Amino acid sequence: MTLLEAFLLPLLLVIAILVVAFRDLLSSVITLSVFSTVLAIIYIIHQAPDVALAEVVIGSGLMTAVYIAVISKIRTYRQTHKRGEKE
Amino acid sequence: MKVFLTAIILAFTGGALFVNLGSIPDSFLLSHTASRFYREAVVTETGALNTVSAILYDFRAFDSLGESTVIFATVSGIVLLLSRKTLPVSSAGLSLIVKRTFGILTPFVFLLSVYIILHGHLSPGGGFQGGVLLAVITIIFCIIYGSSFDLSRYPPQRKTLIETTGALLFLGVGIIGIALTGSFLGNPSAWRGVPGTLPSAGSIVPINLGVGLKVGAGLAIIFYSMIQKTLKRQ
Repeated sequence: MTLLEAFLLPLLLVIAILVVAFRDLLSSVITLSVFSTVLAIIYIIHQAPDVALAEVVIGSGLMTAVYIAVISKIRTYRQTHKRGEKE
Repeated sequence: MKVFLTAIILAFTGGALFVNLGSIPDSFLLSHTASRFYREAVVTETGALNTVSAILYDFRAFDSLGESTVIFATVSGIVLLLSRKTLPVSSAGLSLIVKRTFGILTPFVFLLSVYIILHGHLSPGGGFQGGVLLAVITIIFCIIYGSSFDLSRYPPQRKTLIETTGALLFLGVGIIGIALTGSFLGNPSAWRGVPGTLPSAGSIVPINLGVGLKVGAGLAIIFYSMIQKTLKRQ
């Protein structure tokens, strides 16, 4: 276990706990993207560049965009719902 | 109490997994059975230098065909659920600085994705990773320039055409394999070339291209049909 790995693995654990602990969904999704980036660095240390490439592109790129689109969709739905109740 | 029980169960499961994975001897993992065959035969049998790509698109190409069928089913389901005949009235996009910056940056994203797809048999990467990078271009268009820009440049019909072309390319290479080698998705030795050069590795390059087009267009369709009505309200 290299020094970098000994630093990154506990960091990964802390980020994973933070992802679950956040109440705000947007903060949680952004922390999940940071999780994917750190995980990709660990994959590169373990000499798996294929998996690291897939993890960076999908985990921290595509999935973040999809999750944020879904979150904004949920928020607009909730706003219209509240407005319908008031009227 | 419930939290305590859950913590105990999770700790036991994690410990059991750790002990089980730790008790596999290292010699068993690398020196016997299929893994040794892959290490020794990958260059002579396929002509590809990237072992992962050779396993995915040559030895286990039928599994990859199944995976792309899963993506096709996902795209069909999401489009069926989300897309309606509405005119997407999106936002005007972000500020001028962001638009100009990404106007310079986006061609290089495209170049990188084409590089990853076409060099899948030589360097890390392959059809799947490059295809997802192709889909990122649609995300850039939808978020930075607004989804009506994406509609005017790359309408969903053209994306569907690209996706179908990728799937048919994959299947066509498989059927050519029947004609030339006698087995579905077989790697014809006439196409193999010199290992290490770009036109080598037989059927892996067209399969990579097909998977890249299919994954890129499919994920782009998914994201576009999700963002389509999201940005309408702004």
